[in-house]
Amino acid sequence: MAFEGFPPLIADQLHYLLNHSPDSIKIENVWSGNKINPKILDRFTLVIPYCLDNIKWDVIYNSEYSIDAPDFVFGPDDEDFVPCSSTIVPDDDDDQISSLKKALSEWDNKDSKRLHVLIQGFRDQYVAYQRRRVGQVDDDRVKFEISTVLTRKGIEMQMVSGIDKPEEVKFAVPLVMDMNINKMMVVCPWKHQQKIYLQVVYPIVRKIESTPSAPRLKLVSSSELKALFSVDDVKLPPWMNEMCLAEYLPHLEETLERQIQEAVSAIDSRRSFIEALTLFLGRPLEADPTFCRQATFLTASGQFTFMVHFFFSTQFPKQQPTLVLQSCQHLNQSSVPVKSNLFTEYPWSPRWEVGRMAERVCDFLTDEAVNFKKYCNEVVLQH
Amino acid sequence: MTSHFPSLCSSRPPLAMDDLSLEKIEISGATLASLIQRASSSPSDVDGLIFGQIHRIVSSNLSDDPPADSLASSSSSDQIVATVTSFVCSGKTVSFYDPLGRVDSRRIDSLRVDSPDRLIGWFSARRKTANRPSMRELAVASSLSSQFHLPVEDLKNPKLTNMASCVFFLLTTPSSDQCIHTHEYRGYQFRSSKQRLEPRSVGIVNIGPAFRGHYGSFRPKSGFPPLICELDSSAMIVDRDEGSLGAKKQAVKDQKEIDALAEGLQVGDLKRLVGAEAANNTGGIEDMYEKMLAKVQSLASDVEKSSDRVFQQEKHNRKLRNRIARMGR
Repeated sequence: MAFEGFPPLIADQLHYLLNHSPDSIKIENVWSGNKINPKILDRFTLVIPYCLDNIKWDVIYNSEYSIDAPDFVFGPDDEDFVPCSSTIVPDDDDDQISSLKKALSEWDNKDSKRLHVLIQGFRDQYVAYQRRRVGQVDDDRVKFEISTVLTRKGIEMQMVSGIDKPEEVKFAVPLVMDMNINKMMVVCPWKHQQKIYLQVVYPIVRKIESTPSAPRLKLVSSSELKALFSVDDVKLPPWMNEMCLAEYLPHLEETLERQIQEAVSAIDSRRSFIEALTLFLGRPLEADPTFCRQATFLTASGQFTFMVHFFFSTQFPKQQPTLVLQSCQHLNQSSVPVKSNLFTEYPWSPRWEVGRMAERVCDFLTDEAVNFKKYCNEVVLQH
Repeated sequence: MTSHFPSLCSSRPPLAMDDLSLEKIEISGATLASLIQRASSSPSDVDGLIFGQIHRIVSSNLSDDPPADSLASSSSSDQIVATVTSFVCSGKTVSFYDPLGRVDSRRIDSLRVDSPDRLIGWFSARRKTANRPSMRELAVASSLSSQFHLPVEDLKNPKLTNMASCVFFLLTTPSSDQCIHTHEYRGYQFRSSKQRLEPRSVGIVNIGPAFRGHYGSFRPKSGFPPLICELDSSAMIVDRDEGSLGAKKQAVKDQKEIDALAEGLQVGDLKRLVGAEAANNTGGIEDMYEKMLAKVQSLASDVEKSSDRVFQQEKHNRKLRNRIARMGR
């Protein structure tokens, strides 16, 4: 990240914000407002994850007066978002608003946590602001959903409207909150807490209809989680007519919890399979130690030496690993080692013991090595 | 954002403080150009105060039929227009308010010095940023509106209505460098009922027949000094016979100022430039012009020296500010 252009104290605050925020905040653009030295950067756009989408806020410092507090420009659709005004929300959030006000009015540019405190506070206020907006929508179903589902923690809502867009209300509902996926891993490979959300989009129809149409549902997780568990593999239970979220969620969470447990235990079964392979193929050249999704072994058939790559899906052992053979002795015309096609079909049963699985794969490899050697020789002869 | 300060700008308390909507904001081309120049020549972002007047214009929808309810029908076609006449730039940001946007009336007084114009609002100029109001700008506009008011000028209906100093000008530059499109400006009005800055169209008033209508409701702010020529011609005496002692004293004082500029040359001496004696007297006039030119030249070099000193001082200030900003590292 290019922090060099920022005055040191601004860079400190930015560093702290990016390293300590629970959501992965990013910087999108940086600019200079300085005429005398346009290399000094003092304004930037923050991309902040919100409701499974991003919001963009501009932060404006003044490099000529870098001891002054920054100013903020919020999104073009959020002109009513006034996080430091207590006139709009007179009730529960007063403590936070007054601490935000204090952080700004008693600004201390040497305190590197200040920007983080402000952005975090503004984001909390933004959650409340969007909830107020959604609460004002004239739609009985949305009103009912809010009243029944609000006891769940961490729900974020968003009002989507525009001139050429149909009006919609989006919910991001965090699921299986009791399950700490990071802690289920032996060695946690992730910097951020892994969460799974259900995105629910309610179309707002102005016409009076007897039954409102089903919301659009989608499971969302970070791309990091895909190494362990892909939410795309989860089949969502059907949404019945006149159903509400409070009814829908418990069943979904139950399924999800079971599948995550299975995904975590699948790591162990993959590991023990790789360990079983070492009896036949020796120590692997390379293996993914965290998720056990990949392993490569060096092997030989007579004089012919080649590598075997194993690729495991998250559905192992239900789905058998994919194999690729790669010669250590043959290069094709562009000087790349010759590789076989993917092997996805060979004798396999998920009910076998891991030892039996390893044995049968090695039997298959012994047979296939002959074919592969022949194939390699043909490729080399061609040029 | 609520204020407990009394109205400081207007000496009279506001009689009617409806949240009136401005039809538009007018600014002369020269004032706008000067504002943009000030924003683009400053080292970094700046803010400042803008002055002017607000007046009610009755659009002419006259008809022969006597209106049933004259007040209602006339007020419905009224337009309230704000006119920017001058501004003062602070040279920095957060100049007359705190980081939360709370306006400090003492800092406003020291910034406006003794500008005779009425405060109608403020402006903010920032480079490479979005051209919509920021969080702090909204707060400042709200705070300023709640503390400062000015009367709405209304020639036809002189009952006093006050209006908040609610005008806000935002000057920005596009975030990507462009050759043609280099500056953006927008006018806003702060509406206290909605706690929101609403965009208003900005009308640029220039000199010329097409704009004559704009000056109809205008009252001159700075009258010309009464330059009374001490000519011995009897025709002039009639005009200046009336007048109090005070006016006469003022006239004598003004005359003294003019005489000082004329380097001892009397206005009456101009008579001698005509006729037979003219050739002998041109030397005296030329002498006066030369003296004046020398004065102007020394003034110009004084200005040059002092602006150099100002520049050096500004450079020094920047260094000090940067040092303060780095302290604690």
